[in-house]
Amino acid sequence: MRVAYGSFVVLEDVDLTVADGEVVAATGVNGAGKSTLLSCLAGLHRPVAGTVAVFGSPPRDDAAFWRAVALVADQPTWYPGLTVREHLELVRRTHEPVSGWCLGADELIDTFGLAVRADAVPLDLSSGQRQRLSLAAALARPSRLLLLDEPEQSLDPGFRQELAGLLVEYTGHGGTVVMATHDLDFAAAAGARRLLLADGRVAAPGLTGPGLTGPGLTGPGLTGPGLAGPNP
Amino acid sequence: MIAAATAAGAPRVSAIRSFIRGRRRRPWYDWYSIAFVVVLAVVLLSDLLAQPFSRLAGSGGSAPAQAVAGAALVIGSAAGLLALAQAFGPLALSPADACWLLLTPLDRRAVLRRPAAVTAAVSAVAGAALGVLGLAMAGPYLRPGPVTHPVPWTWLVLAAVGGAGFLVAAMLAEVLAQPWPRWRAQMRLAGAVIGAVAVVGAVTGERWTGVSRAVTARFAGLSTGTFGLIAAVAAAAACLGAVLVRRMLPRFPAGVVRADSVRAGTTLLAAAFLNVPLLTWMAEDSHWRGRLLTSRPWPRGAAFAPRLFPAFVLAWADWRRLARRPAVLTALAVSTLAPALAGAAFTGHAHGWTMAAVLLAGAIAAGTQGTAATRRDANDPTLRRLLGVDAGTALAARAVLPALLGAAWLTLALALLVLTGELPGRPLDGWLWPLSGLAAGAGAAAAALRIARSAPINPTDQGPDTPISAPPWLVTRAGSVLLGLAGAYPTLRAVRAGQVHGSTFAAQLAFSAVVLGGYLVLALRSAPSR
Repeated sequence: MRVAYGSFVVLEDVDLTVADGEVVAATGVNGAGKSTLLSCLAGLHRPVAGTVAVFGSPPRDDAAFWRAVALVADQPTWYPGLTVREHLELVRRTHEPVSGWCLGADELIDTFGLAVRADAVPLDLSSGQRQRLSLAAALARPSRLLLLDEPEQSLDPGFRQELAGLLVEYTGHGGTVVMATHDLDFAAAAGARRLLLADGRVAAPGLTGPGLTGPGLTGPGLTGPGLAGPNP
Repeated sequence: MIAAATAAGAPRVSAIRSFIRGRRRRPWYDWYSIAFVVVLAVVLLSDLLAQPFSRLAGSGGSAPAQAVAGAALVIGSAAGLLALAQAFGPLALSPADACWLLLTPLDRRAVLRRPAAVTAAVSAVAGAALGVLGLAMAGPYLRPGPVTHPVPWTWLVLAAVGGAGFLVAAMLAEVLAQPWPRWRAQMRLAGAVIGAVAVVGAVTGERWTGVSRAVTARFAGLSTGTFGLIAAVAAAAACLGAVLVRRMLPRFPAGVVRADSVRAGTTLLAAAFLNVPLLTWMAEDSHWRGRLLTSRPWPRGAAFAPRLFPAFVLAWADWRRLARRPAVLTALAVSTLAPALAGAAFTGHAHGWTMAAVLLAGAIAAGTQGTAATRRDANDPTLRRLLGVDAGTALAARAVLPALLGAAWLTLALALLVLTGELPGRPLDGWLWPLSGLAAGAGAAAAALRIARSAPINPTDQGPDTPISAPPWLVTRAGSVLLGLAGAYPTLRAVRAGQVHGSTFAAQLAFSAVVLGGYLVLALRSAPSR
């Protein structure tokens, strides 16, 4: 796959296959192409050459696709006049009838340490608390693929470990995670296969270290999880 | 290098400003733009105010109701100016000055003196103009002496001093209240109450001529002594405000000025390009910041309509937001008096395109109060993607609230026009006016939705350079208004003519269905994911 912004090539010769239930962590310096990789998987950016397939077909920006895929990139713009709890409940309610693993609003509020701010509007949260809310919203609904762009942003070290545990639990229920991160300890705690990007190319595919496990890269093109599975 | 410095070591603010000014280059077109805006404002205002000011000479006489409505409009304008000033601080620096001069050892009073003086000077000029305008509104009913007209210069000066004094005093009171959120809220409330009372008073005077005659009779009792006393009280209040503000400046909280200055800068930029979405966005955020709410459960019912339910819940966010803003609903209800007031103050009757334009603007404004979440999603679809709701059903579900708001607003406004006797209210017509308004709400909702879903304005996008071209952002905004005009056309046309028939109602139903339905279909075809 080749991705470019105008004449500037961001990703070149990137070839990646992710299996169901796997966690892949794209790492690399700023500007290496990590966020662009996630953007392509979400269908928000098209490669100029090569293909992207998620659940067996190109990503589409429609309701069916977004019911299967949850993206946490930049913090979203929150709805005016709704509280933290109401946002989480809204996310769950729009996915009813809920079929698949996800956490309830009460449990998320406790787990993500938002109990004392549950009745506040997100505008009044600290940046770390808003990041917690963004991540909680992604887990408030069932999904098969989580795309996380630097989920550790603004989070304290202790909670990063808890988040890694939640991602392990998510994959334990059949979900797949592809994330961009700078925190190798966090990636290791999540059991991620590391994909090192440098200058838009894969510098070291399938790196493993303590806690970094998983198969290497296989197959042509950039392919998301569930190759054999039906489109959701 | 900045040579001048105080004994304590901190540089003088004047030296810093001079340092900045000496290195800052304003391009020629900046000066051209400023001059163009000033000339245009003078031309437009002189044209608008020529008729009211002619009343000072005893000509251009008006009915008592029109004089009362005009005087109320002056009071309402003053309240509006104060509300506008709050949006800009009122004490604010340029965003750059707020970043680079405020959090420094510079003397705080010296940094803030200039913006405080500018605030007072602008208030004085605006207040003087409003004072003279108020005098002009009452012109035909004044009895300045044995020879009734023209009104003597003494009165003009005293009215200008009185108006300037009161507005400066009120503005400086806002500056004093600026660091305290509770006081700011109370000042805002006071302004809203004064504005509402003025509107209600004007409409009351329009409906019951006895009231307006009583008010104009009081105008006749005014003397030079009374004017002098009013002007003296106003000037004293302004002086007191100036002294208090001067004493406060050295310890004026930097955080407040910094936040207000950044907001003022963005507001100014947004206003310059008619960026309504950004302005409403900022007002919305400022309203909710710091509020603690009570979380409430969302509606249930997925089992009954599993396909439509997610869109319904998503649309419910706007209903919930509105329910939590009773002041907005109250303001909308009060603003339904505006068409009657506009008729009384400007045209003297309720017919014509002016009245139709006021009705259309009101209906669209009411509809936009039901599109806050739509606006957020149009600007940033991240949250809607996370919710995974189908864009088509979501947009259709979200059209219901603006349609109802527009319908309710038009119904009430037209009913009031009938009640005040400005629209013909024979038994059948009396019902047909509000019924047509009810049907027109959906048409106006299309405009509200289009405004909410418009892409953010890019000021640098000037479009093709042709003699008759307009910037694309202006075309976009005008397109939304035209859509609303098309949607509510039968009702607006009837208002222009001052006649309504059964066929108006039927035509309005058809226009609303076609325009709103057509807009929804085309909107989804052109941008299915938004």
